[in-house]
Amino acid sequence: MGTTASQLGKDLLSEYQELTFLTKQEILLAHKRFSELLAKEERSLPSPRVPMEKILSLPELKSNPFKKRICHVFSTSDPKDGSLTFEDFLDLLSAFSDSATLEIKSHYAFRIFDFDDDGTLDGRDLEKLVNCLTGETEDTRLTSEEMRQLIGNILEESDIDKDGTVNLSEFQHVISRSPDFVSSFKIVL
Amino acid sequence: MSYYGNSVYNNPGYHDSDTLQIDRSPPRKSVHSNPHGNPYPRDQEAGAVQTGRSDNQTLPGGGLASYDDAQTRVPWGGWQEESWRGRDSIPIGLLSPRPESPHWQQDINQESHYDKSPLVQPPSTTTDHVSTRFRGSRRMSLFPVGEAALGNLGFSEDHIRNEMEMEEENVIKELVAMSTTDRIKAIRDLPMSFNDKKHVRGQVLVFKSFKKSRRRNCFADCSETFQLSFRRCGAHMMLARQTLDLWQGTMKEIGGTFGTGVLSYFKFLKWLLMFNVFSFLVNFGFITIPQLSYDPTPAVPTGVKFTGLEILTGSGYFSHTVMYYGGYSNETRGSEGRPRYNMQLAYFFTIAAYMVLCGAALVYSMARSFRKRFVQADPATGSAWQLLCSWDFSVTNERAVRQRRNNLRIQLKESLSDKVRVALLPLSDRLKHYAVFLGTWILSTGVAVGCASGIYFLCQFEKGSADESTGSLLDEASTLLLPFVVSLVNLVIPLFYSLFRKIEQYPNPRMQVYAIILRNVILKMSILGILCYYWMKNVAERSLCWESAVGQSLYRLVVVDFLFLMLGSFFGEFLSNVVGTKCIQSLGVPEFDIARNVLDLIYAQTLAWIGIYFSPLLPVIQMIKFFALFYLKKVSITRNCQPPRRAGRAAQMQTIFIAILFFPSFVGALSMLAYTVWTLPPSDGCGPFRGLDTTFSAVQVWIAYLDGVSGAHWIVWIYRHVIRSEIFYFLITIIILVFIYIFWQIIKGRKLLISLLRQQIANEGKDKAFLLEKLQDVQKSKQNKQRKKRPTRNRPEDETSPGLLQALLARQRLEEEDASAAYNSFGVSVPSERTMSTTSSAVMQALIARQQAGSQAGSYRGVPFTAEPPVPSSTSALIQAMQARQKAESQAEDGFHRTPAPSQNPVNALPGAMIQAMQARQRAELEELDRSEPERPVSSTSGVIMQARQRAELEEEFYRTPASSQVPDNTGPGSALIQAMLARRQIEDEYVDEY
Repeated sequence: MGTTASQLGKDLLSEYQELTFLTKQEILLAHKRFSELLAKEERSLPSPRVPMEKILSLPELKSNPFKKRICHVFSTSDPKDGSLTFEDFLDLLSAFSDSATLEIKSHYAFRIFDFDDDGTLDGRDLEKLVNCLTGETEDTRLTSEEMRQLIGNILEESDIDKDGTVNLSEFQHVISRSPDFVSSFKIVL
Repeated sequence: MSYYGNSVYNNPGYHDSDTLQIDRSPPRKSVHSNPHGNPYPRDQEAGAVQTGRSDNQTLPGGGLASYDDAQTRVPWGGWQEESWRGRDSIPIGLLSPRPESPHWQQDINQESHYDKSPLVQPPSTTTDHVSTRFRGSRRMSLFPVGEAALGNLGFSEDHIRNEMEMEEENVIKELVAMSTTDRIKAIRDLPMSFNDKKHVRGQVLVFKSFKKSRRRNCFADCSETFQLSFRRCGAHMMLARQTLDLWQGTMKEIGGTFGTGVLSYFKFLKWLLMFNVFSFLVNFGFITIPQLSYDPTPAVPTGVKFTGLEILTGSGYFSHTVMYYGGYSNETRGSEGRPRYNMQLAYFFTIAAYMVLCGAALVYSMARSFRKRFVQADPATGSAWQLLCSWDFSVTNERAVRQRRNNLRIQLKESLSDKVRVALLPLSDRLKHYAVFLGTWILSTGVAVGCASGIYFLCQFEKGSADESTGSLLDEASTLLLPFVVSLVNLVIPLFYSLFRKIEQYPNPRMQVYAIILRNVILKMSILGILCYYWMKNVAERSLCWESAVGQSLYRLVVVDFLFLMLGSFFGEFLSNVVGTKCIQSLGVPEFDIARNVLDLIYAQTLAWIGIYFSPLLPVIQMIKFFALFYLKKVSITRNCQPPRRAGRAAQMQTIFIAILFFPSFVGALSMLAYTVWTLPPSDGCGPFRGLDTTFSAVQVWIAYLDGVSGAHWIVWIYRHVIRSEIFYFLITIIILVFIYIFWQIIKGRKLLISLLRQQIANEGKDKAFLLEKLQDVQKSKQNKQRKKRPTRNRPEDETSPGLLQALLARQRLEEEDASAAYNSFGVSVPSERTMSTTSSAVMQALIARQQAGSQAGSYRGVPFTAEPPVPSSTSALIQAMQARQKAESQAEDGFHRTPAPSQNPVNALPGAMIQAMQARQRAELEELDRSEPERPVSSTSGVIMQARQRAELEEEFYRTPASSQVPDNTGPGSALIQAMLARRQIEDEYVDEY
């Protein structure tokens, strides 16, 4: 612990604390875990990036059905390859932390669920979402008829302006009404 | 978006009836800015509209330029655009394929651009405004990158950068104005990447330090330093709290494997443990320590030794210690002159304070979770979403994930079939169901009553045998019979109740869970109620030190309940696991039954609350019990159980459990205590209240004493005028009722408002859909135009909607045929005469042609243009018509050059509708100018044109109705509107032209 603290520096640490929902301990732990993912020689670089494959090997993310989407959403790399810097990683943990607000959580959840990055959840996004949740294989996914019905139900519930897609505010409206969301949208290192 | 909404609303032709009154209110920011601060505002439509506009404004070349060109040449050619522009912005270039840019980042910038439009942001200085602006601007600063893609939107990069800088400045100004803690919170709440937040923070700090350097004084410095240290202190406290947080790793592990539902059980357990720790600290600190400090050795009579059985029974040696009520003295400690410690008051007030605090904590947490989980959770919406959103991101176990996926799939399928199944049952089946419900409820209530009365008789019997007891070890052990039976009932009967699940069929599984919970609660509470009745009635009258006796009974109940909980885990979970995996495979691994386990906890806690008066140190036992139970359950669950199949609604269940903990459990315990304190005479031989009529008279004595003490009058006054006055309670009740009424009215109003707003959103969605459709039409026709740019030149008609276009084309082609036919047959003839004679027939022909144009345009190929090369692959009538017309035109133009009467051509084009006439006239004029051959008298041409126009007007009236009804792609009310616009436009053009 002590070594990681000295690695991070006090100013940097307090900055991280101020800008994320994480506590000092969580940040230190995150730094430790992040450093473990880096190769030895990379650690001395100014802001090293961990490629997506390595991030996905974390046990917290390994079995998450949205793991790739999560990396893509939080990655700030220029070609969107899902690689994360330490700050991106902190962002991720901050959004998934206990103390993050509902607004932040729903914002990122929307972006995670928006598979084609077009700003709305349309039928295809919803289908992908459901498939992600129920499993991709042929015997686990819903039949196309069920899927159609389900997407119809979803849109009927949440598409307030009846434009056939769910936009962010509609999504946040839905989220604010599902009380389980905040407690389940959580990843703890 | 708002821009857009307004423009539509201003258009009376579209919104006629179903737009709400709210719509007409002046633009308010609450409507315009997303209440959620929509920081990812990828409203495609809005972005697209904006894109279209920017295209329109700035693109110098390309399609639009030629479009504008056409507009200048043909006065009515731009009818659509011009009329739309006249109203508001019009998106022409919508959805133009822009592969490099459909990134949402642009849209964000577009959006914020929107927000800055004067319509949307009326100048205002209210704080509300600030916050919404802040939220609005957040969208922008969210993604400060991505300008590269903006270039082709028509915004110059500088422009955008300026916009963004201004927005950022606004954000920073607002942030600077906030207090430090607020600012930190606000920055943290920005949904942007870390570096952007850092940037904003840096800017704010720079701004702040700049400001500070200008006005520097000692006080500000001091307060700053103080605040800083205060914040640091707070952060350290947080850290300490987190470090002390019990079982964090274990909780994470459980949540990772079993999900939030099971985790909530453990959280509940921890919460109750905290209650007991607090209760122990309070009781030990204020009651036991003073007692022990003056009287450290318990007054145990000689001959009573610690045998070990006391740990189970609580009697014997323990009954003379501070464990029970009887172990405390009624003395006032301390010597004269020094502050003295009154044991009576300490005992009374400590327990009263603890109960009040417990009640407050319960009410608070209940209200909070109720608001969060019930009021906001709209039962009407969200079954499917609720399932989708309940995915546990914290689950890390691969097997658990697979299991969850299976469960979720089953639940989704059930939710789909539930909707179908509703109200399909025939009457007889329904009656049968009701009969089953009635039967099971009668049975369960009967069982509960039977158990309660059985326990009462057992109590009577035990008392009879206790009277004859000799104090032997066996007698002491026999006192365990009652708690044993009670715990056995508590263990077995719920299992019996759960069998009802097999025969009952509730419309949804949640109802079933509620029914089971309700039955269990009835059972447990009736048992506790009958025990309390027995203690109050029988024990209180006979025993020498009855409080201690009750305390012992409670102690036994608590301990034996603990043993049974352990046995329950063993039998209920371990054994059924063994049976399920080894013997009867069909049973499978048992699920962890959250409801049953939580109810056990509630029962245990109720015992502890009841017992706190009779045995102040009972919380110690309870603490040990819960602590051990946590590990026991953890081991049991990880070894034996699988996560429950129905994971959803865990949060609501939690609220229900807190409510049950409050209502029958806490309120029951409190009322029992209140009854004891206010009415029952305390025993004479032991305890702090010996010699008093009731426990409460200790307070009365104290007040009477205070009456004589100067400086304590206010306590007396409060006691007399607040606590013991009916008027006070009456007033309190009235005030509460008034508040409830006010809130009820507010709720009603808000419900109405919500429904109105919903309707408004739906209406605006309709607007959006309508405009989108229009835009797509325009776009489509634009694409068509681009595809045929070369063969057709820039035809203004191409911009019109395809339906209209098709009709017009068919008609036009007919005319052209007519013209060429006339041309061929008559050669040089008097133009106006010729036209006159052909108009009526042309009308007929046009009608026929229009009908045919859609279906069999191909048949025209051979008729007038037999000499022409066949049109290759005529896929649609439209294309063919276009090409045919093209050919006809080129032919006609050839004719112009050959024949000496060029003015014929426009006249020949006349029998069509006005559009055609206008176009023809335009062309004629242009051609005249182009060639500028002075032989032809201009006056004759214009005369012909005048004639033609008059004819065209007549024609138009004749044509209007059939033409519009023929339009195939009539897109609802909108196209009618457009046609009306078109007509008006044409008439206006006519006027302009004529005068």
